[in-house]
Amino acid sequence: MADCFDVIIVGSGPAGVSAAFPLVEAGLRVLMVDGGKKATLKSPSRPYLSTRFEDEEQWKWMVGESFHALQKINAVSPKLRAPTHAYVFDDFIAQNKIKAKNFVAVGSLAEGGLSNAWGCGVARLSTDELADYPFPESEIAKSYETVTRRIGISGANDDDLSDYFGLDVWSQPPISMDVLHQRMFDQYASHKQELTSLGFRMGRSRVAALSRDIDERKACDNSGNCLWGCRNKALYSAIDDLPSLMKHKNFFHKSGFIVDRVVKNNEDLAIEGHDAHEYMTFRARKILLAAGTLATTGLALRALKYESSVRLQSCPTAAFLLWQPRMLGAARVDSFSLGQLSFSLKFPGDITAFGSTFSTLGIPMSEFIRHMPMSKRYSADLLRHLLSSCLVGNLFFPGNLSTTEITVNADGEMNIIGGYSSSVSGLMSDAACRLRKSYWKLGALLMPMSFTQGLPGGDIHYSSTLPMQHDPMLGQTDGNGELAGLAGVHVVDGACLSALSEKSHTLTIMANADRIGKILAKKIKGIN
Amino acid sequence: MKILITGASGYVGSQLVKINAIKKNHQIVLASRHRHDGVQQWVHFDLNNVSSCTVPESIEVIIHLAVDTSGNDEVRRHEVDAAKALIDEARKIGAKFLFASSQTAREDAPTNYGRTKWRIEQEVLAANGLVVRLGQVYGGPERGLFGTLTSFMQRLPVLPAFIPSPKVQPIHVDDCAEGLLKLVDHKSIKSGVYCLASPEPISFTQFLRSIAISRVRRRKFFVPVPAFLVKFTTGIISKKISTRLGLNRLNSLFDLPLMNTVADLEIVGLTLRPLSAGMHKSGNDRRCRLIQEGVALLTYILKEKPNSNLVRHYVRMAEKLRTGTALDIPVWMIRWPITLTLLDDRANTSLWQREEFAWRIDAATVIAEASRQGAARFLGSTKTMCPLTALFRMAVAVSSEIAWRLMRLVIPSSFLGLSKKKSL
Repeated sequence: MADCFDVIIVGSGPAGVSAAFPLVEAGLRVLMVDGGKKATLKSPSRPYLSTRFEDEEQWKWMVGESFHALQKINAVSPKLRAPTHAYVFDDFIAQNKIKAKNFVAVGSLAEGGLSNAWGCGVARLSTDELADYPFPESEIAKSYETVTRRIGISGANDDDLSDYFGLDVWSQPPISMDVLHQRMFDQYASHKQELTSLGFRMGRSRVAALSRDIDERKACDNSGNCLWGCRNKALYSAIDDLPSLMKHKNFFHKSGFIVDRVVKNNEDLAIEGHDAHEYMTFRARKILLAAGTLATTGLALRALKYESSVRLQSCPTAAFLLWQPRMLGAARVDSFSLGQLSFSLKFPGDITAFGSTFSTLGIPMSEFIRHMPMSKRYSADLLRHLLSSCLVGNLFFPGNLSTTEITVNADGEMNIIGGYSSSVSGLMSDAACRLRKSYWKLGALLMPMSFTQGLPGGDIHYSSTLPMQHDPMLGQTDGNGELAGLAGVHVVDGACLSALSEKSHTLTIMANADRIGKILAKKIKGIN
Repeated sequence: MKILITGASGYVGSQLVKINAIKKNHQIVLASRHRHDGVQQWVHFDLNNVSSCTVPESIEVIIHLAVDTSGNDEVRRHEVDAAKALIDEARKIGAKFLFASSQTAREDAPTNYGRTKWRIEQEVLAANGLVVRLGQVYGGPERGLFGTLTSFMQRLPVLPAFIPSPKVQPIHVDDCAEGLLKLVDHKSIKSGVYCLASPEPISFTQFLRSIAISRVRRRKFFVPVPAFLVKFTTGIISKKISTRLGLNRLNSLFDLPLMNTVADLEIVGLTLRPLSAGMHKSGNDRRCRLIQEGVALLTYILKEKPNSNLVRHYVRMAEKLRTGTALDIPVWMIRWPITLTLLDDRANTSLWQREEFAWRIDAATVIAEASRQGAARFLGSTKTMCPLTALFRMAVAVSSEIAWRLMRLVIPSSFLGLSKKKSL
């Protein structure tokens, strides 16, 4: 590795790799650094049910040799408890000196970042939603296509959410549904009219999971191991993009490097940090921050010596359980365990919520038992017959309803205080009511007491701490993600989104990173 | 401090040396007939030949444990003389004197052993020394009367249950050693008689049963034997035979005065382990109780005996993530795990033990599920089931829950245990 790079990218998650491709392909010398955490446990090698019924060693990936699942028993999501994903979240909070109050703070030091454990939800922002952004829609449209084609998306279907997702032209057909979802979708076809009046629309989920092979990655075979790790690599993870980047001689990857700070002396930009052995400095003409919203915000505010608070957007979220009485006694069958059907829910005042429903199979039953208002023994008796006819659902509201604030003090510690705007609780009960009515028409009962609002940050859709603006002030970024007050440092991950809609935001982060990467490639080449 | 110990190779003495070696508190000088291999500091001392004993001036405390249990009158006289000689030595060099006596010590004790102890006690007290009366010593290596009883039990298929049963006050041999060392360290202790034993006497039969269950690990049958028969037999057979059979010592059991030990234990600062804990080979049943708890909780969740792997995971979990000790779940709940339903009520988690129980039952659920056994219990069928059957089974589950809830209303909470505060 030589002394000065054209570009340093901090982070190898979805944003980092998406920004890297155009820069590397333009021939620029690019250094990518990341925390270097890697998977230590193998994904289950056989479908979920046969592993569960036959594998003596299943506790290693379900509980973990050091009882990871129990150590994290208070974590908000089963994913944070899965031992196979422990490395993804490991040590992030400590390394970034984060103190969170009333907020679920999560991040990653892993190669590939949080995309090693994501829900794979994808969507494209509409013209209206892009109105908040300081660049023309045409600039990002091409990037949506580039990224979608690279990572592989399934779910293309002529349904009521085709326009909402806006991705079908570049997508693969959907992965097959299980019988419960199939029945519900059939019901929807015949009750559409009544449901539209409730603001409820339904369609297949669009997910970054393959229904057709792409190179090394194989199509989903309904193994049901989505939560534990897919042996087919059908689910996109940014780590799968690293090999293609490494093929380029002008791409350098420094794994296991934690960036402590970004420094600027005169026109000289550098990152300082450490690996397991020593303290190091790398210099570059441009620095791209793609460490994930929380880490990036920390690095940027520290570099700016900005000690006032900034606002973080995240989607108010809730989860619920649906029961289809007509499906009682259904057999347990392995199936895709990420979103199968999605819905959008319109509220008066131009607010839309979004959510998906999932099979209950891949999720450990103890996750449900823990929340039952019954003794464990009889909860298990009840649920073993009930859960095969149940689905779980989630719900997201737009990020501008959150009031979470972040401050970084002089010692570099990050304090996060989570909160929702006062209208959220009303919207939540309205949503519960509308969903109950809607799903009832689809033959499903929204289980009483099951609708649970999540803690702020529980969605892990963090964004907009350093939003892109036409005329950015200190602590904001311009249309190219360049930090006001720190020329040459660009924010390319969730932190720079101008606004956060209710839709899954990862694809937009990636498209935006690709867009900025392309612009910077042109600029730097132009100077050369 | 430098301590001289007589009888250091005996039951209590050897444990005392062992415990002191671990704590590395004091330097110990052994006083015995022969020098043992590897012993650094040694003084010649013979119970039967007192003239040969000289205690080095550097000694600050003498602990006199040596005893001859053969019961010979001649030996008894020597024992008193030997004690007197040692007390004189102690007085000469200004050392503290501790004498291990017995619950049987009394002027009019039925055995020679008890009377000898009493006579020595008088000498010790006259010289401002400390007398420590020990209860029924048990645990650790199978020696002393405890060793005799254990080896009898290994050989005999049936055991006597004396009627009326004598009462004994047990004390673990390590607790004895601990108590003696505490007395050594005690700065302001006054001369007098200190009784170390469990404050609650238990019947001798109960004591034997505890050895049978925890040590010999066999269920034994107890045959009632009238106590007067033992006295009668001791009276008619020769002393030699009765000593060999241990009848002599047995006989002394029938005439034990009750010791009030609460105040003395407090002065010495000694907490005794319960009999159930001390009877285990390790002297500690912590792990054993944790295993029982694991089996009970996992059985409660799984509705069948858990695979040993699961129990192992549970125990390791409790040791790694929690306190590593079992909760005070009532014995009947451990035996009939279904009754744990009474405790499995999250509404009542204000007490630490209840809260901890709720945590452990969650943990047991997670551990139980991650197994083949758990898959069969939790996942339900991979074949379609008749909806009515499913509905019926769900109804059974709900009605069982309701039934247990009604029971919870009736049963007073104090009956369910888990009310202790967190002990650190």
